[in-house]
Amino acid sequence: MERSGIRAGLAEAVPLMLGYFPIAFSFGVAATRSGMTGWEAMALSVIVFAGAAQFLAIALVASGTPVILAGLTLAAMNLRHLLYGPVVLQKAGAMDKGAGGSRRFAWAWSFALTDEVFGAALGALARGQRFSEGFMGALGFAAYGAWVAGTAAGAWAGGGALDGFPALAAGLDFMLPGLFLALLLSILSGAQVPVILVAGLATVAGTWAVSGTVGLFAGMISGAVLGVMSPSLMRRGQDAK
Amino acid sequence: MRSEVLFLCLIAGGLTYLWRYLPIRLDLGGMGTRGWVARFLASTGPAAIATLFVAEMLPVIREGGPGLVHGAAGVLGVLAVWAWARSVVAATLGGAVAAGLAAFVFGG
Repeated sequence: MERSGIRAGLAEAVPLMLGYFPIAFSFGVAATRSGMTGWEAMALSVIVFAGAAQFLAIALVASGTPVILAGLTLAAMNLRHLLYGPVVLQKAGAMDKGAGGSRRFAWAWSFALTDEVFGAALGALARGQRFSEGFMGALGFAAYGAWVAGTAAGAWAGGGALDGFPALAAGLDFMLPGLFLALLLSILSGAQVPVILVAGLATVAGTWAVSGTVGLFAGMISGAVLGVMSPSLMRRGQDAK
Repeated sequence: MRSEVLFLCLIAGGLTYLWRYLPIRLDLGGMGTRGWVARFLASTGPAAIATLFVAEMLPVIREGGPGLVHGAAGVLGVLAVWAWARSVVAATLGGAVAAGLAAFVFGG
C-alpha cells in the first residue's frame, strides 16, 4: 500500500474523528445509563461499528426484544450499506477491467465503510483524491479508532457522569435524534419525501395505538413498501437501466 | 457480558459487514441502480432513519416542558448547520450544541 494514500486517508479522517468521538462518548454514556455494562457497550462499537444502529440496539436490549429479531432489525437498518462499496469503486473507476488489484484488501477496509466514511471518501474522490486501498483503510480505521475510544471514554465515565451538568446532558441527549435528522438530510431527495412522510406517520400511529416497538416496525416496513411501489422511484429505476 | 448481547453484536455486526463487503467482492456495481431492488434499497434507508427520528422525538413531544424546548433548538441547530456545511457530523454536533445551549439558557 502506498504511503501517500495512507497519509491522505488520515488527513481526511481528522474531521470525522473530531465528530465521532463525542457521539461515541454519548453512546457509551447512554448504553451504561440503560443498564449495559461497559464491555457490552464496547462490544457493540468494536463488532458492529454503525452509530445509529448501536443507539437503536440500546433501546431493543432494554425493551427485551428477542435477540434474533433485534439483530435482524439492526442489520435491516444497515441495508443501505450494500451500495457504498460499489458506488465508491465506480466513482474511483476501479471497477474497470484490470483494476481488480485495487480490491485486494477490500475485506479489511470495507468493514469500516460507515455512512460518514462513505460520504468522506466520495467527497475526497470528487475533489480529485486518487483512490487507493491505503486511503480507504486509513480513513475508515482512523474513524473506527475514534469511535471505539469515544465509546470507551463514555462507558468509563458511566451513566451518572452527566448528573451535575444538565446543559451537557441535554446536548448529549440530542446526539441521537440529531444524528438521525442529519442522516435523513444527507440522503433526502424529492422522490423520498412520500416514503419519509409515510414512515413517520406509521411510526406515530403504531406507537400511539400499540407500542413503541410496533411503531418502529410499522414505520420501517410501510416506508420500504411504499418505496418499492412509488412511481417516482420506479421511473428512476427504469431510467437507470 | 451477557451472552445475548454478544450474540446480538455478532448477528448485527456480521450481517452489516456482509452488506459492506459482499457487493465489492461479488462485483455488484450495477445492483443499486436497477429495478425493484434499487427501489427497495433506496427507500429502506430513508424509511428506517425517518422512523428512528420520529420514534426518538415522540416521547419528547409527548412530555413537553423543557425537553421540548431543547429538542426544538436541537432540530433548528441541525437544520442550520446542515444548510451551511452539508456535513452529517457537523450538523449532529451543531444540533447537540444548540440543545445544550437551550438547556443552559432556559434551564431544565
